[in-house]
Amino acid sequence: MRKLAVLSVGLLFYLQLISAQMVLDKPYSDRITGYKIDAKLNTVGKTVTGTIDAFWVNKSTDVVPDIQLHMYMNAFKSNKTTLRSESASLRTSDSSDNGWIEIRSFTDKNGLDLMQGAQYISPDDGNTDDSTVLKISLPHAAGPGDTVFIKVNFETKLPGRIRRTGYTDDFYFVGQWFPKFGVYEPAGMRYATKGSWNCHQFHENSEFYSNHSVYDVRITVPKEYVVGTGGMLMSEAGTENSEKDKTLTYRAEDIVDFAWTAWPGYAVFTDQWEHVKITLLIPKDRTNQVGRQFTAVKHALEYFTKNVGPYPWPYLTFVDPPAKGSGSGGMEYTTLFTSESVYKMPMSVHIPEMVTVHEFGHAYFMGILASNEFEEPWLDEGVNSFLEERIMDHYYGENSGMLDFPFLKVSDKTVARISYVHMDGRQVTSNNEYSWNYPHNTYGTMSYNKAALCLNTMMGIIGEETTNEVFREYYKQWAFKHPSGKDFVKVVNEVVKREHGDKFGPDMNWFFDQTLYGTGLCDYKVSGIKNTDLHLDDDKQVKNDSVDNKPSLRIHTYNSVAELERIGEVMLPIDVLVHFDNGDEVLESWNGKSRYKDFEYTGNRKIDWVKIDPEYKIRMDVNFINNSLAEVRNNVPVRRFTNKFTSFMQFFISIVTL
Amino acid sequence: MKIINAIKSGSLQSAKAWKGVLITWFASLILVSLLALPIKRSLNSAFGKSMATEKLMDGVNLDIVTDLGPALSAVFSSFSSGLLMLVLTGMLINAFLAGGLFSCLRGTSKEFTGTGFFSSSAKNFWSFLVISLLISLMFLVLIFVVIGIPVSMISQSETISEPIAFALETGCGILFFLLSAILVLVADYARAWQVANEKSACFNAIGFGFSRTFGKFFTSFPLIIIILFAQLAFAYLFFIVSGNWTPVKGGGVILLFLLSQFFIYVRFYLKAWRYASVTSLMEQDYVKAHVVPEVLAENQGAELHELLTVTESHENASDQPILIPDDQKLN
Repeated sequence: MRKLAVLSVGLLFYLQLISAQMVLDKPYSDRITGYKIDAKLNTVGKTVTGTIDAFWVNKSTDVVPDIQLHMYMNAFKSNKTTLRSESASLRTSDSSDNGWIEIRSFTDKNGLDLMQGAQYISPDDGNTDDSTVLKISLPHAAGPGDTVFIKVNFETKLPGRIRRTGYTDDFYFVGQWFPKFGVYEPAGMRYATKGSWNCHQFHENSEFYSNHSVYDVRITVPKEYVVGTGGMLMSEAGTENSEKDKTLTYRAEDIVDFAWTAWPGYAVFTDQWEHVKITLLIPKDRTNQVGRQFTAVKHALEYFTKNVGPYPWPYLTFVDPPAKGSGSGGMEYTTLFTSESVYKMPMSVHIPEMVTVHEFGHAYFMGILASNEFEEPWLDEGVNSFLEERIMDHYYGENSGMLDFPFLKVSDKTVARISYVHMDGRQVTSNNEYSWNYPHNTYGTMSYNKAALCLNTMMGIIGEETTNEVFREYYKQWAFKHPSGKDFVKVVNEVVKREHGDKFGPDMNWFFDQTLYGTGLCDYKVSGIKNTDLHLDDDKQVKNDSVDNKPSLRIHTYNSVAELERIGEVMLPIDVLVHFDNGDEVLESWNGKSRYKDFEYTGNRKIDWVKIDPEYKIRMDVNFINNSLAEVRNNVPVRRFTNKFTSFMQFFISIVTL
Repeated sequence: MKIINAIKSGSLQSAKAWKGVLITWFASLILVSLLALPIKRSLNSAFGKSMATEKLMDGVNLDIVTDLGPALSAVFSSFSSGLLMLVLTGMLINAFLAGGLFSCLRGTSKEFTGTGFFSSSAKNFWSFLVISLLISLMFLVLIFVVIGIPVSMISQSETISEPIAFALETGCGILFFLLSAILVLVADYARAWQVANEKSACFNAIGFGFSRTFGKFFTSFPLIIIILFAQLAFAYLFFIVSGNWTPVKGGGVILLFLLSQFFIYVRFYLKAWRYASVTSLMEQDYVKAHVVPEVLAENQGAELHELLTVTESHENASDQPILIPDDQKLN
């Protein structure tokens, strides 16, 4: 009877989570997992205690004998964890800096203790001191279509030094705080050749990978705390200890993670963009940044909706954390993200906007298009950086997306290019790496900047509208699923074929193999201009008319050659613009494959200058300076710089010498 | 009234010393060119005949500039080492030329002559150099104490709210400006005193600078603040005009050069104006001092005697005698 009751309750909970539409108009994902969490923040002990009722549905045709859960807060348990082994700066001798998650009870739907079949595993590095992945052997293997229910009592101690999650003083950012299912990948899903759990440890250079889930979360906090979460507020009530506490109930549907923040110092602002109610939590003494933050997030909503796909949720919450909580800044949890600004940040510096646009973008890459951030970080960070750059330069100026001072303008895409092009280890590895395997501190530049640069270059080749179509199609095919890199490339191939036929070959694999998955450099050069006067033909003397009575002119015949070279390994189709002294211009195309190429012309005109990629579309080219050559040097920019430099230095010297 | 008189007199004296200002401007142009021309050559060599420089027409383009690669590193390296040399050499040259300038900015100065200018420069060089070095050292200490320590404490504090931190940092900046004005005043009084004194006595001069600054604080300080604000306004104008103007033709670049050098000349004129105004203020105070010239002459040398003899007959001389305190007497 008891078993039946428990089963009924479990089924009710499952049905409620699966079917109830309280946030979205329909289920967008398969909702393989769901969580009902009741948690309480203990501001004295810096802990979160609670219970979780959760389920996982075996949608595969496999019989699955176990489940695997992320226990990420254990990454902060000691200095021997994989996270802290990989990051010296996170090691600590202060025990209050540590964090952990402790399981008090772990049962199945029948109340059967599952901890007996539990063990911490380290699938990535075999580190026995790491306990961020928990494997539970099920008493009965889950057959196809079965649902596994679990009930967990847990206590999470938050780390005292915030690295995305933790607390400082009375500020809390609570992420990766509860036992969360890994993703079961049956054969054929992404790169899986046989069914297995994809559940990685917590690394320094990695983020997350989860199923789209439904969350019903009750959070109890002291009354004076302002709370922001990735869910929609359903109700707010007092507790039995109502003098001091309040309980807030949230629901979130089809998101991949649930995080929340609590701090008494937040001011709350709301705004509306079409169907989306936007909430901003920002320190009370930083409200001068509210306007620019809302503007930025609305730009992002507009651009993503137009060029990728709709944002389905009716709400969005973002947080601009206080200085003491800045370790939580710049992180994404689909419908909740954190930005970063400071009081009196000049409007010419677009860093807060950039962070806001970037973190919002993760609602798409990897929120809606839930790729595996551990294994293919470029697919969320790189793709998202590409969109971020386009948004910043679109709304804040083609040349001033990042900085917009009268004397210095810097675009967002320039920052990405500089980071990769002038990086020492740019050829150490390709983007075909797991996030924690990038050598020589190349993770950030390779997965964010190089990938964005590759996509910018691809856009230069296939065109902006085709690129937008690629992203629309990618969204259409893979929204609320788990796409891989090969799925993205497949979409590119389909769209390019549809839009351009065989103009770029049977597919675009050649592009990705060389750029994203290769380590070669792209560098083209104009190595020379030759203008040879073939002969003076007296027969071709032209007499001027009698009106201006000028002496006769002789027509020269020249053999003119533009000499080009491919210095790098990467071969891309490029445009070449040849300008002649009579004002004529010829736009040539070169497939860019041979090591050198000459364009030769014979006629009564000389080549004035030659430009490879005149519109700077091949942004992977590591040296723009050698992309062009003129017969006569243009001295003006250097002379102008020298003049300004001289006078500024004179001014400076006149000041420092009293 | 004293302040207005000092500013007026300073304007006239500095206008009369335009040749000295011209020498100072020219010296600075030559000095900075020693750094700027090699950098120009390096850049020309690095860019070669590339058309990429067209991307620099609207100003700095980081895509292009950073593609200079090792050439850019070489430019930065020569700039950073050259800057130190430039500042040190600039201090030496300024210590030299300021002696001549201060000399021809005095109320008793006669018509400008190159010989007189350089003779005074040479005479005062060592004491001016010591004064400059000591005051520069005081500036460094001031930066450390008023800006460095508080700002690092504020930025590391997790309990100070951002507006309060901003207000405190702004307050530190304002305090630094005000204290800098005092140091500038000390330096100017010290040099004015040194020029009026035959003997080279740099430490006495600095002592005089301090005692004069604080002894006549309510006239000296507003004067220097007015002058510094005028100079700040000019600096703003200079940076707006020179910074934003990006000519794209050769003729425009020549015009930019001429205009920016004119600005620099005015900048040096304003500096001379500051020297002259402080000198004038010092001289005005002596006008009021009906002390026996012979007594002072014994102590202070013939040049000061000459100054006081001339200034006693000044039309603004007060009838009320004011004794110069012992610590302000020139030794």
